[in-house]
Amino acid sequence: MAVDQLSSTFSALADPTRRAILARLAQGEATVNELAEPFPITLQAVSKHLKVLERAGLITRGRSAQLRPSRLQGEALKEVADWVAEYRGFWEDRFDRLGDHLQEIQRGRSGQ
Amino acid sequence: MTEAGAQEIRIRRVFDAPRELVWKAWTEPEQLAQWWGPPGWTTPLDLITMDVRPGGAFRLTGISEDGAEMPQDGVYREVVEPERLVLEESAENNWHEGAVSVVTFTDLGDGRTEMVSHMTIHTTEEMRERAEAGVSGSLDRLAQHLEAR
Repeated sequence: MAVDQLSSTFSALADPTRRAILARLAQGEATVNELAEPFPITLQAVSKHLKVLERAGLITRGRSAQLRPSRLQGEALKEVADWVAEYRGFWEDRFDRLGDHLQEIQRGRSGQ
Repeated sequence: MTEAGAQEIRIRRVFDAPRELVWKAWTEPEQLAQWWGPPGWTTPLDLITMDVRPGGAFRLTGISEDGAEMPQDGVYREVVEPERLVLEESAENNWHEGAVSVVTFTDLGDGRTEMVSHMTIHTTEEMRERAEAGVSGSLDRLAQHLEAR
């Protein structure tokens, strides 16, 4: 999983409503209306959560059907299950950028 | 030593830069914003608060290309310029149950700096015990199911 993907996946999982939506989808696909039912929030709010989950690769949504039922996407969750390796990679990438940044500011300095 | 319910990640890097510079990259918001990332995410300066002293708070908010926000909150536990920084990330708004990073900077004497980052991350085992444990618990089971397949 790419690092930005991992971030959005972790970010998506940080929200309790979104975790509840995923748990519901673990039982089978559902429409926005069905997903909204147990929550004291608007359909728009549920749609927004679904968009976040979709972007994180945690769900897919039907394209053709009017109701666009949501479906759990197992792969991203599986990778989250192995989060230690993923998180290490995330930090390795971050420190790569720190190294690049240190190079850049030193170049800037000597050029002055 | 790993305590129960925690995972540790240790990463060592040697940078071709003097220690003071590496320290500043960690402790000055203008610099942190340049590398904190991740790719596709920005960390706008006006959304960074860093009170770099023992007990001081930090808050960074990452913004993705399509506008999603990812806040990170925590406290500086130790600030020993320019050699040691201990950050504690809070569990709030986070996917883990809190994490502590001990970052040490060693001057190698030849213009290079060794940085060692040692993270202790409190894991989802604790998450299961929380109020919404039913929910994340079923997710864990699902992940295990997928793993076993």
